[in-house]
Amino acid sequence: MRSKALFSAVFLLLLASLVVVACTPAVPTAAPGGSEATAAPMEPTAVPKPTEEVPMGTAFEPMKLTAPDCDYGGMIKEIASLDEKTFQVTMCVPDPAFPSKAAFSAFSVQPREWIESAMVSREILEKPVGTGPYYLESWNRGDSIVMKKFADYWGDPAITDTLVFRWAGEGAARLLELQSGTVDGIDNPSPDDFDVIKADPTLKLYDREALNIFYVAMTNTFKPFDDVKVRQAIAMGIDRNRLVDNFYPEGSEVATHFTPCAVPNGCTGEDWYEFDPDAAKALLADAGYANGFDTTIYYRDVFRSYLPEPSLVATDLQAQLKDIGINAKIEVMESGAFIEESSAGRLDGIYLLGWNADYPHITNFLDYHFTASNPQFGTPFPEIYEKLSAAAQIADPDKAAPLYEEANNAIKELVPMVPIAHGGSATAFKADVTGAHASPLGNEYFAVMDPGGRDTLVWMQNAEPISLYCNDETDGESLRPCEQMLESLLSYEVGGTKVKPGLATACEANDDLTVWTCTLRDGVKFHDGSTLDATDVALSWIVAWDASNPLHIGNTGAYEYFTYLFGDLLNAK
Amino acid sequence: MAPVSLASETMKDYRSNSLWRLTLRRIFKQRSAIFGMVILSFLILVAIFANVIAPYDPEEVLIGVEAGIKKRSAPCIHILGCPADQPQHIMGIDGNVRDQFSRIIFGSRISLMIGFTTVGFAIIIGTILGALSGYAGGWVDNVIMRILDVLMAFPSLLLAITIVSVLGPGLQNALLAIAIVTIPVYARVVRASVLSIKEMPYVAASRSLGGSPFHILISRILPNAIPPLIVTGTLGIGTAILDAAALSFLGLGAQPPTPEWGTMLGSERNQVFTAPHLVFYPGIAIMLTVLAFNLLGDGLRDAIDPRLGQASE
Repeated sequence: MRSKALFSAVFLLLLASLVVVACTPAVPTAAPGGSEATAAPMEPTAVPKPTEEVPMGTAFEPMKLTAPDCDYGGMIKEIASLDEKTFQVTMCVPDPAFPSKAAFSAFSVQPREWIESAMVSREILEKPVGTGPYYLESWNRGDSIVMKKFADYWGDPAITDTLVFRWAGEGAARLLELQSGTVDGIDNPSPDDFDVIKADPTLKLYDREALNIFYVAMTNTFKPFDDVKVRQAIAMGIDRNRLVDNFYPEGSEVATHFTPCAVPNGCTGEDWYEFDPDAAKALLADAGYANGFDTTIYYRDVFRSYLPEPSLVATDLQAQLKDIGINAKIEVMESGAFIEESSAGRLDGIYLLGWNADYPHITNFLDYHFTASNPQFGTPFPEIYEKLSAAAQIADPDKAAPLYEEANNAIKELVPMVPIAHGGSATAFKADVTGAHASPLGNEYFAVMDPGGRDTLVWMQNAEPISLYCNDETDGESLRPCEQMLESLLSYEVGGTKVKPGLATACEANDDLTVWTCTLRDGVKFHDGSTLDATDVALSWIVAWDASNPLHIGNTGAYEYFTYLFGDLLNAK
Repeated sequence: MAPVSLASETMKDYRSNSLWRLTLRRIFKQRSAIFGMVILSFLILVAIFANVIAPYDPEEVLIGVEAGIKKRSAPCIHILGCPADQPQHIMGIDGNVRDQFSRIIFGSRISLMIGFTTVGFAIIIGTILGALSGYAGGWVDNVIMRILDVLMAFPSLLLAITIVSVLGPGLQNALLAIAIVTIPVYARVVRASVLSIKEMPYVAASRSLGGSPFHILISRILPNAIPPLIVTGTLGIGTAILDAAALSFLGLGAQPPTPEWGTMLGSERNQVFTAPHLVFYPGIAIMLTVLAFNLLGDGLRDAIDPRLGQASE
């Protein structure tokens, strides 16, 4: 009797589970760490390939989108394609940094037809169609991205036929692959391995210029960080030299300012506080915390060139704070959650974060972090952001210098965060790879590299890209593969930060820097065979700018870089 | 007087043949068990006298304390040729410039504490549940054992990770998680013993003399259910230490700067090639401790099992 009951129970259970399985919608397998696939709407109908419906030489229809007024919170007034070869952006306020921004891979251009057909099905996230020296052959989720040389490239063609991107999270694992010869180049070898690489005649290390900042931040909406004396005490109580000397590789420097000195106007104003634990304790006592207080140090255990040893730095910081009476416990957070919580200003303790330059302009550092709409340090300080918004409208760096000096001094006075270091990092390649380099912006360009005559170049970076629609990505691991396949109006020089022509031969401004007109290059072909014209550029920009556009989908739809480079999106709620 | 002395003689004889004596005698006949006990007593001594043995505070950062000290320096042992003007660090310096030897020494305290507390907690809860379930039988038995079956259906480490993720990382929560995960093992052992013991004639005798169920359970059944529990417990301590180290390795257990072996191993796992001593010593320490408990547990099982060696007595 009993066994019969048991059997029927098991049978029922089996039946129930079958029903559950049958009723679950078939979601495509998500990539590890990628969130985009899970959110994919189910569109079983196949999207027609754009190549088939692009008749060559159709009559040109200009495309134009104009904001009703400039009160929506963004900087852009109008985006328009005037004729086949002319693209124009009209700004509400003068924008001297426009060329630097337009060269960035978050403004890369894809064919209009492809955006229209592949955006809704989200195919564009996995299959970019660009104009770059390489086109995408396949993306094997969890394993590799294979790219092939694009024969019709308008510029100097790629040297190697096949380019493969792979990834591994651990520095030791990447170095092992390089040593065993399975990859030709790796990103971010562990600082401890620098000497090993230098000593190996078959390998070569390329130092990456320190165009980043690591800072220890506090959110001023939480006690006790609402008191400026407490923040100043922490600024004086951290021995920044000790952190840099012990936990940073060669080529790193202690930060005198938030912005690295290589960026024009970065280091105007007074240098940061000297380490002075006694003054720190006095300030704490002054603020009513003579016996210190308890807090939490939050960080994510992820290698970044600005923070190569996160756990060691967090532990040392814990020990340093203890010396001035602050008891901190350490909490490691998952990377995505950490970024979300910190950027929303919801972390109630001290957190370790940094910034890598996307383009070499002071606005990329100061304006992003200290603007009036950024809550990551708590309530923004008008003393800082008013100076910054005034300075951002002056094209000549020398004329803007006094304003940046005041802004930098205000940052020192108010201590929204403590700038610690500009961290040096490196790439490593096999010694026979010519043209190898490390870019300060993290956008190494593989078309110029020759892996000793081999026909495949294998690159290993820290992580898998989140998606390959980089107009809606911020992650450097996603941007780098995009930069091999997609291009923007302008570009950065290989291994450097200077802006040079890209898809446009030039972008010219009117006298007050409010209207930027770009002339497109002739004979640029997309990977699908279509020819570049100004509507491709216009639509690539408009889908990001106009939040009410039906194609404003992207990966998350946030278009974060667009938002912070050009202010709020049009029609955003 | 003679009868009295005779009585005490018999008494003595009876005592010398008690289960405990027999067990001890059998344990000492096994080399592996002795080896386990030697390592274990060594570890316990190290844990007790940690602050005497360790040359430094395990959390003391030596930057500025010793001139020219570098993180992750290799061990410096004077009698093995390290220049005498350099300060001695038997196991080198860790990534945060602390003395690795002192941290390993203090780590023994934490690991033993983890082992004993988790298993102690799991045994207490497990015994209560198992005894209740075995003695009461019926639906009580069914409900308790089915719940424990569900618990056992999860891979233990995954379940522990889930529990810690819910409670938040930290040593206490890790201990709790490991204890919860191991409860079913002890509950089952106790239930099995209780089931067989409650049919014994002496239990029936106690019952017919009017003993209350509680009295019978506590003083007649449970004392006789302990031996298998000791074996499982000893083996379980090793597993618990290993699980705690695994949780700490994943960053869910002991938080820095606590000198816990799993944490030490986890934070320096990238340095296997550049600073092997930072991975090697904590690993060896974990291995030795777990080995000691496993050897001892194996020996205990062989010694306690009444089917083995009874004939030789």
